[in-house]
Amino acid sequence: MAKVVIFTFSVNHPPDSSFCLSLNFMSDKQIFTLQKVVASIKKTIDDRYSQTYWVKAEMHKLNRFPSGHCFPELAEKKDGKTVAQISGTIWKTVMDRVNTSFLKIAKEPVKEGSTMLFLVKITFSEIYGLSLHILDIDPNYSLGELQREKEETLKRLAKENLLNRNQQLKFPLLPKRIAVISAYTSKGLSDFMQVLQANEYGYSFYTHLFPAALQGDIASASIRKQLNRILTVKQYFDAVVIVRGGGGEVGLTCYNDYELCAAIANFPLPVLTGIGHSTNLTVAEMIAYTNGITPTELAEMFIRSFHEFAVPVEDAQKTIVRLSKRLLEETDEKLGHAQKLFLTIVKGAFSGHQKLLKETEVDLLKAYQDSKSERSTEIKLAIGRLVREAHFLLQNNKQSLNHLREKLKPNTERTLMRFEEKIALLAHNVELLSPQMVLKRGYSITRANGKVISKDNTVKKGDKIITFTHELEIESTVDCGESVRVESEE
Amino acid sequence: MSKEELSYDKAFEELQQIVRDMEEGEIGVDELSVKVKRASELIKICKTKLSSTEEDVSKILKGLE
Repeated sequence: MAKVVIFTFSVNHPPDSSFCLSLNFMSDKQIFTLQKVVASIKKTIDDRYSQTYWVKAEMHKLNRFPSGHCFPELAEKKDGKTVAQISGTIWKTVMDRVNTSFLKIAKEPVKEGSTMLFLVKITFSEIYGLSLHILDIDPNYSLGELQREKEETLKRLAKENLLNRNQQLKFPLLPKRIAVISAYTSKGLSDFMQVLQANEYGYSFYTHLFPAALQGDIASASIRKQLNRILTVKQYFDAVVIVRGGGGEVGLTCYNDYELCAAIANFPLPVLTGIGHSTNLTVAEMIAYTNGITPTELAEMFIRSFHEFAVPVEDAQKTIVRLSKRLLEETDEKLGHAQKLFLTIVKGAFSGHQKLLKETEVDLLKAYQDSKSERSTEIKLAIGRLVREAHFLLQNNKQSLNHLREKLKPNTERTLMRFEEKIALLAHNVELLSPQMVLKRGYSITRANGKVISKDNTVKKGDKIITFTHELEIESTVDCGESVRVESEE
Repeated sequence: MSKEELSYDKAFEELQQIVRDMEEGEIGVDELSVKVKRASELIKICKTKLSSTEEDVSKILKGLE
């Protein structure tokens, strides 16, 4: 083994004279101890590489030991093939210092797989062999390297026409269903969810978490894996968000990774980022549908898009109410006009007819009065005639009456005289017939029981009778027998 | 078309169309009550969409397996 090593070195570096001497005596089987050989190598190397050198190499693996010391594998590749490789050593104190300056300047920890600029001293250990003792790593070189990688990603995306691919998607009117790529413990996730859930407008979002590593070397593959999962259920989602935060601004170069950026650009749903860092944008943020900067701002954007939907709905409602009212009012007004017009026409027609009616009435009255006055003249004439006639008749009758009266007067007086004479005679006769006069002439009246004795008032023996004469009243008692019926003289 | 089948995009578009028609005076009194009724339905759909959660989680998870 030692021989091979020595030989290898002899190609590049001519061995020193003492070593040559030893070789010259090989035929005499001069034997060296391993320690002597190794010591010789060490001396040679120490003498030859007494300086320190800046070496550009890719750190393939960091190989950090629990002690904190690292034994990275350094390599150089050309066209994908390793053309040089050597192991290195970084002591814990150096590693800690380098990491601090990297985080400060490059915003990235020392990262496996990237090309870095190492300050090295070529050392040879009797036990561990040759290695590059790394005294420092230049963060500014790494920063430039990261920038170059980022630009390469951008260039490649531009070439493949992917820069605006995701941004050209139509954003849903109402992004309700959100696939969230984040980590359970991420502060960014809790910020995002808190803003969505605590919105005061009562907007309701549906979110589903797709957990992924969010920084460092593994993030790109982890996020891409979740994007692929979402792809299988994309019909249930309106948008994808990648939220991260609270972890400081380091380890974000994964968001410049071409594979990740291409996956985002090609995703059929809008992918929104809120990975919460404020310096240079990563490529993922640049090509995402929208970059919300922080998860909180991203969540607020979602609420705004709900607003943008809700407000036009409110406006539409108001407009419909307003326009409906106006339409009804206009129609009402038109109807009112028509009604008024109709009324005016009807009134006009009515008053026309009324006027006509009045005129007719006047005409009629006039005609009536005319005819009445004509008739009254006739009546007057008739009355005149009647009066004259009556007057004439009266006059005639008066004359006849007068004539009759004239004739009646002497006749009447004569008749009256005759009646008076007759009456005087009658009165004398009546006087002659009075009972006193009869009694005077010698006649008497006999009464029994207060009544004149007659056939109806007879007397018998013992009855008292009263006889009235002209001057006497004679009371007698019947003595004999029967009353005899006397034949009347007449 | 039932309320469930009508997406908010379509509901919103139809609502906007009604508003445009009204603004352009293309809706007369005869249609007004029908259109206003439809609009109020659409508004209700849109507003419900803002505040409701309708997704079936199990369906999504099943799709993920």
